[in-house]
Amino acid sequence: MTTLLEVSGVSVTFDGFRAINNLSIAIGEPELRAVIGPNGAGKTTFMDIVTGKTRPDEGKVLWGERSVDLLKYSESQIAKMGIGRKFQKPTVFEDQSVRDNLAMALKNKRGPFSVLMWQASAQDEARIVELAEEVGLSERLEDSAGILSHGQKQWLEIGMLLAQDPRLLLVDEPAAGMTPGEREHTTDLLKRAARTRAVMVIEHDMEFIRRLDCRVTCLHEGSVLAEGSLDHVTRNQQVIDVYLGR
Amino acid sequence: MLRLFPLVALTLALAITLPLRAQTDSLTPLQDALQSVQEHVASPSRATVPAVLRALLDADAPGTVDFLRAWGDREVYERAEDGLFFYALEAPDRMLALIDIDSGAEAGAVSTRAVNQIRPNAGVRREIGAALVSFELMHPEASRRLAALDNIARSPDAEQIEALTLARDAEDDSRIAARMDRLLDLLNARFATDTDVRVDAIDGLRGDISTEARRVLNQILQTRAEFAPEIPEGTNVARIRAPGSDIELIAAYATLAEAGLVPARPGRNAIRDALRRNVVDGAVGGIPVHQLTSDEMRRAAYAALEAQGSVAPLVTEDDMRAAVREVVFFDAYLEPDPAVTDAARDALDSTRTRISLWQFVSISLDALSLASIFFLAAIGLAITFGVMRVINMAHGEFIMMGAYTGYVVQTVIPNYTTSLIVALPLAFAVTFAAGVAMERLVIRHLYTRPLETLLATFGISIALQQLAKNIFGTQARPLTAPDWLAGAIQVNDVVSVASIRVAIFVMAIGFLAMLLYILNRTRLGLEVRAVTQNPGMAASMGINPDRINMLTFGLGSGIAGVAGVSIGLVAQVTSEMGANYIVQSFMTVVVGGVGSVFGTLAGATLIGFLQKGIEWFNPANTLAAQTFMVLFIILFIQFRPKGIVALKGRAAGD
Amino acid sequence: MSLDIPRNTAAPAPSRRSFLHENPSVLWFMGLLGVFTVAVTVLSEGFGLGLISTNLVKVLGMTLCLCLIAIAMDVVWGYCGILSLGHFAFFGLGGYAIGMWLMYARTEIVIRDSLGRGTIPPTELEVSEAVAAQIFGVVGSSELPLIWTFAGSLPFQLAMVVLVPGVLALVFGWLAFRSRVTGVYLSILTQAMTLALSLYLFQNDTGLRGNNGLSGLQNIPGFLHVPQSVLSVWFFWASAFMLGAGYLLFAWVVSGKFGSVIRAIRDNEARVRFLGYNVEGYKLFVFTVTAVISGIAGALYYPQAGIINPAEIAPIASIYLAVWVAIGGRGRLYGAVIGAAFVSLLSSWLTGGGAPNIDLGFYRIVWTDWWLVLLGLGFVAVTLFFPKGIGGLFDYLVRKKP
Repeated sequence: MTTLLEVSGVSVTFDGFRAINNLSIAIGEPELRAVIGPNGAGKTTFMDIVTGKTRPDEGKVLWGERSVDLLKYSESQIAKMGIGRKFQKPTVFEDQSVRDNLAMALKNKRGPFSVLMWQASAQDEARIVELAEEVGLSERLEDSAGILSHGQKQWLEIGMLLAQDPRLLLVDEPAAGMTPGEREHTTDLLKRAARTRAVMVIEHDMEFIRRLDCRVTCLHEGSVLAEGSLDHVTRNQQVIDVYLGR
Repeated sequence: MLRLFPLVALTLALAITLPLRAQTDSLTPLQDALQSVQEHVASPSRATVPAVLRALLDADAPGTVDFLRAWGDREVYERAEDGLFFYALEAPDRMLALIDIDSGAEAGAVSTRAVNQIRPNAGVRREIGAALVSFELMHPEASRRLAALDNIARSPDAEQIEALTLARDAEDDSRIAARMDRLLDLLNARFATDTDVRVDAIDGLRGDISTEARRVLNQILQTRAEFAPEIPEGTNVARIRAPGSDIELIAAYATLAEAGLVPARPGRNAIRDALRRNVVDGAVGGIPVHQLTSDEMRRAAYAALEAQGSVAPLVTEDDMRAAVREVVFFDAYLEPDPAVTDAARDALDSTRTRISLWQFVSISLDALSLASIFFLAAIGLAITFGVMRVINMAHGEFIMMGAYTGYVVQTVIPNYTTSLIVALPLAFAVTFAAGVAMERLVIRHLYTRPLETLLATFGISIALQQLAKNIFGTQARPLTAPDWLAGAIQVNDVVSVASIRVAIFVMAIGFLAMLLYILNRTRLGLEVRAVTQNPGMAASMGINPDRINMLTFGLGSGIAGVAGVSIGLVAQVTSEMGANYIVQSFMTVVVGGVGSVFGTLAGATLIGFLQKGIEWFNPANTLAAQTFMVLFIILFIQFRPKGIVALKGRAAGD
Repeated sequence: MSLDIPRNTAAPAPSRRSFLHENPSVLWFMGLLGVFTVAVTVLSEGFGLGLISTNLVKVLGMTLCLCLIAIAMDVVWGYCGILSLGHFAFFGLGGYAIGMWLMYARTEIVIRDSLGRGTIPPTELEVSEAVAAQIFGVVGSSELPLIWTFAGSLPFQLAMVVLVPGVLALVFGWLAFRSRVTGVYLSILTQAMTLALSLYLFQNDTGLRGNNGLSGLQNIPGFLHVPQSVLSVWFFWASAFMLGAGYLLFAWVVSGKFGSVIRAIRDNEARVRFLGYNVEGYKLFVFTVTAVISGIAGALYYPQAGIINPAEIAPIASIYLAVWVAIGGRGRLYGAVIGAAFVSLLSSWLTGGGAPNIDLGFYRIVWTDWWLVLLGLGFVAVTLFFPKGIGGLFDYLVRKKP
């Protein structure tokens, strides 16, 4: 396992409020990692920084074998380097079919001219079908994404994430609003994905995390409070005080 | 100088006697005095005028000044039968109605034959005029003395120097004395015969930015373009113009040709005309006509004609150079004394610096006034767009509605002050109602679709504009300011501000204060801010967002109405006036920073100053100024997309 | 890197079907446009029965140009979500570019003719000076401005028809999108651009005849002997051809993955960024291509209108364009065509005095006065109650059929 992403000494201030405070965190490849923490601990802001949406005041975000500084790149460039992100609220393109949603996310050239000339190759087609099957949407390929159920939208988004074929997946609360059956399916999806790549999951649901069975990082007030196995973290007195005990 | 003596004596005597002003007992003191020098009054000559003046002076009668003016203007008549003097009015049947010179009462009508009109000649009239100036300059009433000074300033004359100097010595009022000093400088600078006096006077005008002072200096510095083989002795040269650089070679040569010193140079058209005259068998000078389509060929044909001797010789550039080299071109001052022109140039230079300073002040005031108009037009938008994020394209039409409300009120209430006082709140009420109606009927349904709000309000905007056109017609309607706002505040000859613009500035400040108060210090403001930041949370705390949105929109629209009245006072009221302001208003809000009253203030100030600043570089072209301003704004938004006063962090809510 | 061993699935490949097969509306549109063109030609004065006056042919040809810019607007707004209030400026620039050639070349012919009658022929300099005096006398100048240097060259000015709007859109779009100005801000910014441009053109000393604009554009140099009745049909054909070509181009652009991406940008541009697409590049591409098409539409429109002046470019014109597209129905190309044709024809019918006035007894409704009120309020109603516009009606038809 080699280190894929290394965040070190990052701080962000919004109007005097320190959302992230000297945060350092690293993830290897392949690895599955869960991030927990109370509201306002900076979990989402952390993802914003990694994906280029928010610029930190200080600190470094290094990526890959050649330690590229991600802070110099735009959102789309970072995405192209291989960081995929799933938002807390499922954001799929509701006006378009499941197929189109997946086709857009497929790992192909992203420039306007290549996209204009793009024709789905047999390989692309096969990949779309395969992904749809993977996330359980084979029957609904031609349906508009807007009419999917909440859970199906979450899966579609995960499917789009996989279609990008990223090296690092950042997944924000994937199980929110899912039925127990759907959760199980989601856990399987993530665990399978983590066999070949780095997957970072933000979640509140301890049961879900337990099922992921992975290393856990607990954030609090913008920095790492504890890190280790779930049992190790949940036994940490500080974690109990600020998060679990409440 | 000698002939001025009686005048001097008179003024001196006046200076002494005026304060005393003894009253004689006679009922006709003027007539009596005049009768004592009857001959001299009836047939005046330059030699006899002093005697008359002395007599008048001795009598010190009340109507003396009027009499002198009438005497000079040939309005005094002598009755033939008794030699008494009268003024006269035309009466029917070629008769004249005589008027007593002391009492101003009618003294019966006579035939024109029965009186002689007294007609002093030009020399005498000048004498009388000078005496009059002295009389006026010495007048006990300050306003009369000032009026006399203004008269002198209007038509300056060398002969006024003496009278003015004397009057200056007798003057007590320091303000008038200062004015006299300056007038003396003006007169001396131009008319004095002594160089030192003139230079002193000119130095006294240094830094004086009034137009009269600058006119005098410019008059001294007038030049005339001349040329000569050598600069003549005693010429006061302003500058030498070198042909080729200061004056174009062709123009220099043309000057010489005009003076008949060299043959005129045939230009392109002259060559063409000459060729036309000399077409023989379809060719000119051996060159077929159809080949004459370039200047080279034409010149060749002309050269051929020249060789035949049938046309004037072609003047080459070398010829011109040679001719021009023989002479010097220069500008000479009309004023022969270099000391005077040097002093005047110095004085004017120092004046120029001060003028540019004052011009800067003037432009700043203009810009401030423009900024307050922009602010007034935009502040309503700052509320609806800035606070509610609703883009109201009909905002301009609310401004127009306010202006038309003002116009309608003026047609009902003739008194401009009263109608203005009525119009302001009424305009607010009308546009407030219109705004609330629009919010309830249209905008409420589109809060989640901002781009469609833009379009729907645009639909309302074109409908309102056309309605106004249908009701009020296409021609501009007047909205007249009351008299007390009609004038201008004149700081000096460079800086003046129209009172109405000051009023608008004050009004803009008033609105700023009022809005800040409403938004920051009242319950309504608190609720508005709450709804803006988190409508759901505000609603759960018992604030009715519908009501707040309605009120906010009404407030923004109402302010647009009031702005409309004030803009109508300085601009034309037409159905399209709102459209003229809408884009600028949006710019103001966007440049300033959305959601902040201070931002709008900053935006309006920036745009106002910018526009005036650009106009200053190119005053003839306000369109260019607007073009560049818009371009600047587009670039500005590149660097500060959130405006001057940007909200930061999560509050910005992008 | 794949997640699982791909199961051997035979792709049903519905997207392999031909472009036209997948977009039947394109075929319908082409068919109708063809029928319309033939019908107008047969009924025209120049080529057939003479039932349609030359003037009406021109109006119809101009309407087709408006339809062309409307579909461009639909792509940039309805599909990509950029409410540009500047596309009519590009339209006008195209008109100015071709208008310069039309005016220069025609004036040159007239001048050469009159100077050529003299005893000796004119020089080139005399011709160009006389042309300049003729064109710019109205703004008190007799010099040919720098931008008219190549006005006599048709290829150059045709290139300008494409390049001027294209480059302006590219530079402006680059500036605007780069700083991530979106939504209503972008609309206002494009409106500012339009305002700046029209103010610039209103000036007398900018070399485009100020508020006089360019006129006499209906006379085509080289075809001065051809009657207007024939010319009008030629331009009608050209307009119909360009509209067809433009429709085909845009239908192809928006139907594939590119269309998918720009619609995604419209709906959630941040999400598209996280998918790795350079959103700014796409917007710039769409903005520029539609600007170029708008310029071409303008270059075809103004020779039929005969005159162009800066008032045509004023911000209000671009807003009307948005109105047409909204009334016709955004996000579908035929909707834009319907909106532009319907509103502009209705407008010229009502304001041209063609419609009978309505006497209510107490008030007489004169359409020239009330048309804009009707349009404004109708527009509000469409926005509020029929956000899909007239084109939305087709959804009902299509849904009822099966």
